[in-house]
Amino acid sequence: MDIISQLQEQVNAMALLALNTFGTLQRDAPPVRLSPNYPEPATNPSEETLDIAEQPKTMSAALVQAAKKFDALVAALPLSGEEAQLKRIAELQAENEAVGLELQKQLESAEQELKQVQELFNQAADNCLNLKKPD
Amino acid sequence: MATSSSYPPPPPYYRLYKDYIEDPESAPEPPPPVEGTYPLFGATYTTDDVLPSLEDQGVRQLYPKGPNIDFKRELTALNRELQLHILELADVLVERPSQYARRVEDISLIFKNLHHLLNSLRPHQARATLIHILERQIQQRKQAVEDIKRRREEAQRLLKESLQTLDGHQA
Repeated sequence: MDIISQLQEQVNAMALLALNTFGTLQRDAPPVRLSPNYPEPATNPSEETLDIAEQPKTMSAALVQAAKKFDALVAALPLSGEEAQLKRIAELQAENEAVGLELQKQLESAEQELKQVQELFNQAADNCLNLKKPD
Repeated sequence: MATSSSYPPPPPYYRLYKDYIEDPESAPEPPPPVEGTYPLFGATYTTDDVLPSLEDQGVRQLYPKGPNIDFKRELTALNRELQLHILELADVLVERPSQYARRVEDISLIFKNLHHLLNSLRPHQARATLIHILERQIQQRKQAVEDIKRRREEAQRLLKESLQTLDGHQA
C-alpha cells in the first residue's frame, strides 16, 4: 500500500484504539466512593479485578506504539517541493520527446532496409525460378 | 427543468424525437456537458475536482496556512497534540466526568485536521507517480532504440557475409 494510505490507516487505527480504551475502561471501572456519608463500595476481589488492573497498561502501551508508528511513517515520507517536481516533469517530457524522435528515426530506417532486403529477396527468388530449367 | 418537487416527472423532451429514425437531423442535439456548479436533488455539486478546504467544511484549521506547508512537521505536531488531548480526556473522566464533551470535540477536530493534511498530500503523490511513469517510458524507449540498432547491424553483417559467400561461389 502506498505510504499515504498507510498513514491514513494508522490515523484510523489510533482513533479506534482511543475509542476502545476509553470505552472499555469506562465500562469496566469499579464504583468509586463519592462522599464520606456513604459506605465504601463493595469490592469483590476476583479474576475480573486483576484484568481491570492490567487493561490500562496494555491499552496505553498499544496507543503509544501506534503513535510511534505514525511518527515513523511520517519520517519516511518522500516529500519534495512542488516546483521541483514540475521542473523535473518538464525535463523528463523534453527528454522523452528527444528519445521518441530518435526511436522513430531508427524505426523508419529499419523499415526501409527491410523493404530493400525483401525486394532483393524477391528478385533473387525470381532469378532462381527463371534459371532453373523445367525437367 | 425548473421543478423542485420531490418526485418530478421525467422531462417531456421525448416528443421531439418522434421522427428520429427517418430524419436524424429533425431532432435537437443533446445538451452540452455542464460546467461549474450544478444542483442535484437539492444539493449543490461542482465539476471542479479540487479538495475543499477545511473552512469550506466548517472545520477550524489547526495548522498554519500559507503557500508551502511543512507536512512532516505539522503531522508530527498534530500527533503530539492528539496524544496530549487523549491524556487530558482521561484526566477529565477521572475528576470532572461531566465535561467530557469539549475534550471529545477537540480530539475529533484534531483527527479531521490530520485527515485533511493527508488528503492534501495526494496531488504531490500524483505528480510523483507521473515522474515515475515518464522515467520508465524513457527507459523503455532507449531500450527499443538499442534493440533496433543491434538488429540492423546484425542484418547488415548477415548481408555482407552472404554477399561474400556468393562471390566466393561465383569466383
